Amino acid sequence: MQFKDQLGFIGQHMKRNKLRVATTILAATMGCAFLIVLASVGFGLHKTLSDDILENRTVTKIEVPGKEDSDSVITPQEAEAMRGIPHVKAVAERSRPQAEGEARLGERSAYADLVFVQYGNEEKAGLALSDGAMPAAEGEVLVGYHFAQSLVTEEEQENAAEGEELDGFAGSLVGQTFEIELKPFEGEGEPVIREFTVAGVTEEPAKDWMMDSSIYADASWSKIIAKSLGTEETPREVLVYADELQYVEGITEKLKKDGYYVYSVTEELGSMNMFFTLLKAGLIFVGTIAILIASIGIFNTMTMAVTERTREIGVMKAIGAQPKLIQRLFLMESAAIGIIGTVLAVIISYGISMLANWLVPMIVMSSLGEEETGDFNILISVIPWQLVAISAAISIGVAMISGWRPARKATQIDVIQALRQEL
Amino acid sequence: MIEINTLSHSFAIGKKGNERKIPVLEEITLHVKQGEIAAILGKSGSGKSTLLNILAGFMVPESGVVAVGGQEISSLKESEMADFRLKNFGFIFQSFQLMPGLNAFENIELPLKIKGMKAPERRAVVEKLMMEVGLSEVASHYPNELSGGQQQRVSIARALITNPPVILADEPTGSLDSETEQEILDLIRSLNRNLGVTFVIITHDDEVAGIANRQYRLHDGKLVKGVQRHAI
Repeated sequence: MQFKDQLGFIGQHMKRNKLRVATTILAATMGCAFLIVLASVGFGLHKTLSDDILENRTVTKIEVPGKEDSDSVITPQEAEAMRGIPHVKAVAERSRPQAEGEARLGERSAYADLVFVQYGNEEKAGLALSDGAMPAAEGEVLVGYHFAQSLVTEEEQENAAEGEELDGFAGSLVGQTFEIELKPFEGEGEPVIREFTVAGVTEEPAKDWMMDSSIYADASWSKIIAKSLGTEETPREVLVYADELQYVEGITEKLKKDGYYVYSVTEELGSMNMFFTLLKAGLIFVGTIAILIASIGIFNTMTMAVTERTREIGVMKAIGAQPKLIQRLFLMESAAIGIIGTVLAVIISYGISMLANWLVPMIVMSSLGEEETGDFNILISVIPWQLVAISAAISIGVAMISGWRPARKATQIDVIQALRQEL
Repeated sequence: MIEINTLSHSFAIGKKGNERKIPVLEEITLHVKQGEIAAILGKSGSGKSTLLNILAGFMVPESGVVAVGGQEISSLKESEMADFRLKNFGFIFQSFQLMPGLNAFENIELPLKIKGMKAPERRAVVEKLMMEVGLSEVASHYPNELSGGQQQRVSIARALITNPPVILADEPTGSLDSETEQEILDLIRSLNRNLGVTFVIITHDDEVAGIANRQYRLHDGKLVKGVQRHAI
């Protein structure tokens, strides 16, 4: 029998028992929708937390604080070797003086977070400017976007203590010369005072809550200042930047293998992914129970269909239908119930998911007394295609298993007994 | 065409382990030539329906040989037998056995669907046959909208649609009035004459058996008489 005719055949039978088939499809739909919606909560929370982690940091950045086997610093040669790892975009080396610093510009002063960097590598890693240019002359530095804001007068500082907002330095800092006084953390060395000129100001950080008030001086200053302070040069902090997020895991593994302490976003996501994988598997398991309950309905419907159609099956067998064909027709009918139920369930689940994602944050906000959801970007439910595929496979698979026994029963019908049945 | 040699069959009654066998067919031997109409006559309980069921492959005989067109059928597996039936047999039943959810056209078309013929080809074959048996007017009618005679015509057309060499008919006029019975018998006769199809008719009615070239009479499972009334 041609496949098209088989479809027509089961379509005719389903039409003849509309109500029974419709209620069975409804049960299959409810079971499958329950599974999808339940598991979608796991997917939603996972996505919310993953996004939170990914949004709050530079995802392609891999921090390499040191080496596992010793306290030795990462040498420039080792940093150079890291540049050779495939898909490494840039390797930035940073260090800080072992001293507390204060920056002064006229009557304004600020806490000075002096960072020694290699401008070329920082540029490769994505450092961009909002004002000015990269330092070209000796004594030129870059300052963070919020550095100007942190330069305050004593009066402003007192007012800030009373709750007033800090205005900081108004106007452009580019071309301004300021001095830094560095006092060593340990020992009784004399403070060191140096003058620097602002060549450029870095770009505003991507997130509102991020502050960048650092002073970025060339790495050559590291030795000079350490000598002046009488302290040792601090170990370099190495930041490795990958081309894209997908390569972060591979580079992280390679660096670990090479004996470095490594910390990247994939490390943070790894343990969380494991937890959510287990949670999602658990939710899918619970949801599957609903489908199994629905399968009882499919089994009943198909058993009744076989019983009602005994005479017709007998006629078909008498005129030459293969037992396999009879079995296939009934299996297709139960699969059709599963497929229709799954399609409806997917549509309904997407609807419920959208409604939940719209409604739940509103309810939470109103319960917290807030009007706007603002940065509250929580996703209650997410339905990825993988969840749809898993649910469809379970739902249709269970429907076919439910139809298996009745279909077998149909093939075993005795033609003589069947033909004796009254119309 | 059909060779039945020393065919015997019995039914077991009673509980398992304490069964009693009742013979229903004993040492039956009969032959039907191609293009003949053979009638198997007998009263109720004579074993004629059992004989038809064995001949159709619905039942496996205890002993004996049943061959159709040179093929020994009692040794065929279920799926092989289904295929054999589709290619070699057409069935006409006393109670028509039409599918209630299919109209006349679709009922006749069913064996071709099972055979896997494509729709346009099917349509042409069915329309031609419906015209030949006088059913074109009721093609879209469902069985419950047809008279007994029309239903049996649909049943005959369904039996003929795959061009089988043998038609097995079980009391083909048993549910019809005498006028319609005559119409159906005339139709069988003309189909036999024009298409050369072999008919095996099971009946208790001498008038129905009257159209046969060859008659066999069964009594209590035994063949009591085999008469060739007239040559093909």
